[in-house]
Amino acid sequence: MESSYMTLLSLIVFLPALGALALAFFPREKTETIKVFSLVVTAVVFLLTVVMALPGEGVWQFDTAVSDMQKVFSVGWIPSFNIDYFMGVDGISFPLVLLTTFITMLSMAASWPIEKHVKAYCMLFLVLETGVLGVFLALDFFLFYVFWEVMLLPMYFLIGVWGGPRREYAAIKFFLYTLLGGVFMLIAILMLYFASDLKLLNKDQLVAAHVISASAAAEEQEAQLAEIQSADDPVHTFNILALQQLGQHTEAFNSEILGKSLQWWAFLLLLVGFVIKVPSVPVHTWLPDAHVEAPTPISMILAGILLKLGGYGIIRICYPICPQAGYDLAYFVCALGVVSMVYGAFAALAQKDFKRLVAYSSVSHMGYVVLGIGVWSAVAGNNFNPDAWKMGMNGAMFQMIAHGVASPGMFFIVGIVYERVHHRNLDQFGGLFAKMPVYSGLAFVIFFAGLGLPGLCGFIGEVFVTLSVWTYSHALAVVAASVVILTAAYILWTLQRVYLGPEYKGPHGDHLTPITSRELAIAVPIAVFAIVLGVYPQSVFRYMTPSVDQTVDALAAWTEREKPAGEETQTAQRPAVEQTARVRLPHVNKTP
Amino acid sequence: MDPVSTLPVLLGLAWLVPLASFTLIVLFGPRMGKAGIGAGYLATGAILTSAILSSFSLFFVWIPAYDMPEPSHPVAADSAHGGAHEAEVHDEAAHKEEHGDDDHGEQHAESSHGEHDGGHAHFDKPEIAGEWYTLGKFGSLRITIGYYIDSLTVMMFAMVTFIATCIHFYAIGYMHDELHDYVDHEVTLEDGQHLHRPGRFHRFFQYLSLFCFSMLGLVIAGNIAMVFVFWELVGICSYFLIGFYIERKSASNAANKAFIVNRVGDFGMIIGLMVIFATLGTFAFGDVDADGDGTPEPGIFSQVRSPENDYALVVPDGVIKAAAASEIAKGVEATPEQIQSWREDMEPGGVGRWAYWLMIIAGVGIFCGCVGKSAQFPLHVWLPDAMEGPTPVSALVHSATMVAAGVYLVGRFFPFFVPEVLLVIAIIGCITLFVAATIAITAVDIKRVLAYSTVSQLGYMMLALGVGGWSAGVFHLMTHAFFKSLLFMCSGSVIHAVHTNDMTHMGGLRKKMPWTAYTMLVGCLAIMGAGVPFTIGLSGHYSKDAILAQAMSFEAANPMLGWLFYVAAAGAAITAFYMFRLWFLTCAGEPRDKHRYDHAHESPKVMYVPLVILAVMAVIVGWSIYGTPVGIQKLLEQARPMGILTTAHGALLTDLVHPDEHLSHLEEFHVASTWYATLTGLAGLGLAIVFYGVRVLNPAEVANQFKRVYKFLVNKWYFDELYNVIFVKPVLLVSSRVADFDKKVIDGLIDTLAIGTRMIARLDDMIDRYFVDGLINAFAGWTYAVALWFRGAETGRLRQYVMFIVLGTVVLFILITFYLSAPLAPSLSTLEGRP
Repeated sequence: MESSYMTLLSLIVFLPALGALALAFFPREKTETIKVFSLVVTAVVFLLTVVMALPGEGVWQFDTAVSDMQKVFSVGWIPSFNIDYFMGVDGISFPLVLLTTFITMLSMAASWPIEKHVKAYCMLFLVLETGVLGVFLALDFFLFYVFWEVMLLPMYFLIGVWGGPRREYAAIKFFLYTLLGGVFMLIAILMLYFASDLKLLNKDQLVAAHVISASAAAEEQEAQLAEIQSADDPVHTFNILALQQLGQHTEAFNSEILGKSLQWWAFLLLLVGFVIKVPSVPVHTWLPDAHVEAPTPISMILAGILLKLGGYGIIRICYPICPQAGYDLAYFVCALGVVSMVYGAFAALAQKDFKRLVAYSSVSHMGYVVLGIGVWSAVAGNNFNPDAWKMGMNGAMFQMIAHGVASPGMFFIVGIVYERVHHRNLDQFGGLFAKMPVYSGLAFVIFFAGLGLPGLCGFIGEVFVTLSVWTYSHALAVVAASVVILTAAYILWTLQRVYLGPEYKGPHGDHLTPITSRELAIAVPIAVFAIVLGVYPQSVFRYMTPSVDQTVDALAAWTEREKPAGEETQTAQRPAVEQTARVRLPHVNKTP
Repeated sequence: MDPVSTLPVLLGLAWLVPLASFTLIVLFGPRMGKAGIGAGYLATGAILTSAILSSFSLFFVWIPAYDMPEPSHPVAADSAHGGAHEAEVHDEAAHKEEHGDDDHGEQHAESSHGEHDGGHAHFDKPEIAGEWYTLGKFGSLRITIGYYIDSLTVMMFAMVTFIATCIHFYAIGYMHDELHDYVDHEVTLEDGQHLHRPGRFHRFFQYLSLFCFSMLGLVIAGNIAMVFVFWELVGICSYFLIGFYIERKSASNAANKAFIVNRVGDFGMIIGLMVIFATLGTFAFGDVDADGDGTPEPGIFSQVRSPENDYALVVPDGVIKAAAASEIAKGVEATPEQIQSWREDMEPGGVGRWAYWLMIIAGVGIFCGCVGKSAQFPLHVWLPDAMEGPTPVSALVHSATMVAAGVYLVGRFFPFFVPEVLLVIAIIGCITLFVAATIAITAVDIKRVLAYSTVSQLGYMMLALGVGGWSAGVFHLMTHAFFKSLLFMCSGSVIHAVHTNDMTHMGGLRKKMPWTAYTMLVGCLAIMGAGVPFTIGLSGHYSKDAILAQAMSFEAANPMLGWLFYVAAAGAAITAFYMFRLWFLTCAGEPRDKHRYDHAHESPKVMYVPLVILAVMAVIVGWSIYGTPVGIQKLLEQARPMGILTTAHGALLTDLVHPDEHLSHLEEFHVASTWYATLTGLAGLGLAIVFYGVRVLNPAEVANQFKRVYKFLVNKWYFDELYNVIFVKPVLLVSSRVADFDKKVIDGLIDTLAIGTRMIARLDDMIDRYFVDGLINAFAGWTYAVALWFRGAETGRLRQYVMFIVLGTVVLFILITFYLSAPLAPSLSTLEGRP
């Protein structure tokens, strides 16, 4: 079993990299062949994930009835530091994997106009896909980090070499921002690693974390357990699932550093790393520059997939590993989301550059994700009812998928017209509806998906997140709800300036030819998905809800254990830390 | 036929047929016949099918299947009131015990229950609720697509599809310009030419079909979230239809304005939805057995008005629990007794009071959505601009159906509204009806007059609902739909003939286009509420009377709020005045623009036949079906939400009383209000005749006399200017500030950091070069010198080398022995210890 899982997931992750390797042997001037080959590679990877998505009981099929990690395998990689080649997939990562392979394929198809250094472009492109898929599937924190950095470098070059006039500035800005986040993440990873100790976990927890194989015989499990328990020194781990168990069931991460618990700092460092990627205000300014300078397909990848890594990290890592910190900082996280929503929408309203506007709309839309994840409403006053939070987190996950479909669509739409008239000044468009009717129709569908129109994908995510907030905080809920006005304003105003009106006002008007069939082949699937997801959201929820619900249930259960009714919620955090200090487990003390 | 199984299918089909038409037109529209004319036939056929299905549902499924409640109106009709009054008496008694406030109760009990024996069976409102599929499910929270069918739903289906069918036919004639290349005289290109463009006939019908689908979805919706979904969809259809002439800047501006202003209302609606979902845990109207365990889960209505409480409005447990969150967090268990004691804790700061406030927030929130959609003050500004759309759109979307959706939702959600919320609704409605009516007096654009008239009439409906007149308000919604769509279509016919909206260029058209002129006259009479008092009248006669009677009854119970009634009565006069002003200016008198008059002609049959049909409907729709007691009013009684037929008291505003709607049938109100309605109507008509009919007074002179008032009205109370200053400009200012902040502050900081880093790097480089490297170089130089010096020892003589080694070893041993013995000792000892 495990070996076939390993084959499957490794194939998905490394097939693009192998493709890149194979490209190295292609003659440089056969650009068309190189592009076709890359497209085929991305299509094969997409098909692999589609096979996983098909209903069925097969080894390669994703089982929607399972809320735990599935297709899990683990082999030693760097044994001296307990680093494993450890991967698996669940309802949180799987939709994102599917999204990644889908959007990558479309972006590759959108890369045809690239003429410069095609071979290098395609190689970097494929390596990028490997990096992203690796991040989504890695369950070892170190592996996660490696993939995170693997993804960074190709992106830097793709913006820096194939970008627009200010590409170096944009690329270095992107690189430094993300690198900074990566460094914070590394610090947090090491903090958690050195504070972790598998000995604190009981057998069930170890099984749940896949440290002890669930399929092994009972004696073998006992033997593995005994081996862990008998170690003299703490058994550190990079296993994300084990870290989650430690964070939720033990005091391992509660030692005090500079007046706050270790997990508080770890949470904050990880959060900064992830919200840079999301991006949230005020660490978002790399995004508009990167988008404006990046070529269209890279913008599509950036908006459609890379931003999702941030949200994924928060769901997978921040909250489950550091629940105490998450509880204490929940309001901060939600406020971050709301501020991004409002700020992004206002900034979008003021933009003159079409692409910059779409970039700011991403800031605004991704704010919903941060908000939805953070609405920790399962508290004593609510009888630890996790339903609203489930709705928020499911909504946030859905919003990631929805934005992952709509936003690349919007960038592609901008790209189509940019390619024809070579400018993006919103004041110099107009009248496109008459010249390019089919294109304009698709543009309306995709932009309305961004506007959150019912029947299109944006609505479900935005509304579910917004509705879930009231239980958590009335004030944030009201501010979050008000964003619908601003969103309508900037999107409608944009559509009016670009598509409506009697005539086109900018240069190269005669280049405004109707949409080509290659462009249709990219835009139509996006529009279709925008409609399908909006009309039948269960198509995505059926994969994600079991796992998301389980994540929330675990955190709600944690809240019920640690923050029971009768405790003053405001002063809770202080005694908790003191208590931690007192109860700190002996071997944690011994470590130094 | 069993309505429970057939109606969801029939109405579901009626709902989906226009969607199919929309999809087909999107995909194949331009290829449908010559210039897409087939699209018009397809859409018309689709809506006709819907209309047949809906009428069949109403007349052959619904009406035969369900009993009507006992006759309700003339109060004298002894023993008329069914069990609903039982509940009310009960409630009244309970109320007296609680508040010791028996004034209203007394009057009430005497007047309406004196004679009735109370032996009637309890009338249960027939309703069918169910679900089609689930959008999302989170724990116990579910958001679904479902249906809620009662006689209001079925009637709305019949009404919407009927009017839509008429308008589709009409539009085939009206939009024929779009069948060939179209010259848009309102758009001038940069080279001074008018815009020439291909026709867009199919696209118009594509939007109409989408609109019909959305509107019917809104009506059939089984839960408030689904209402919101279709609420937005009708909004976007309205956006497309207003902006149909996409080349016209004014049209696209109006479309944007309509959608964004509606979104402002939706903002409030979302807050309402949040509160409802967070407290009641469901969006469903009716009770649906979603989990299939045999017992239906209570929907919103039965949580708010449960049968156990005799359908009286009680703050539900969920709201109490949400309000008591901080208590529960302290560890207080939410037992039923505890919840009851919280509920009664109405002191300032008490849980019950906060829970009641939550009910108010939720209610006002939902109403905000209705304010936007139904163009109520202060969000009424979008509707007059929406007249940029083609006239059939104005008739269908912006008068008969979509804008009435707000009223429909208030009616649908009525059981949820506490008296304080109803008061807000009444006040907003009253302000709206007055403001809009006054603006209509001075408008010269024929469609804008009708638009303001629509706003004003919607205000009437809101007022009626707000003062407790549920059936009066919804009744007016029905009758208004017919006569207002008729009026719009007549105006369209006029515009079609004279190619202008400006009434000052019209006049005398009744000679040229009699069908249009006289059907229009019927519409004017209907909206004025013409009729012979107590005998017979046009449809508007009945509904307007009912509204005024309820307002009067409300006035009697709340003398402080009497102005609501007087404004409404004054509004009736203004309505008659501006409507007949419109008619006289267009159809009567002498032509003011000879050229336009000469070219005017009656519209084709496909346009005026729908006018005639609608005119007939505008006359008879208030009547009962011949030979039966069944009419709209009767059906509305059947649809009346459980428990609202009672006198309700505010809990915060304890003086506020919402009188039982049946009280308005008392002679004192009924008779007086009929006279008020008739006389105010006649007064308005008389004024119109004086000014525009026989022209005894010159309107221009009067306008000059009241110059300031006139200017104020012509400028529409300066709402647009005001909103521009207090909303639009600040938002744009903030947005440009935010963008600047991004560029200057955040990026400035980042760039400064980057520059700083580079400067530090340069400094580092200098340190490296001059200090560190200098040191290293110095060290290297020194080493070199030493090495040079040592070179002197390199003689090449072996004996001398051996001498050095021996000397060195001796020195080393001496050093180890005397100075380093301690640290080295253990290692030496271990060496010794080795075998």
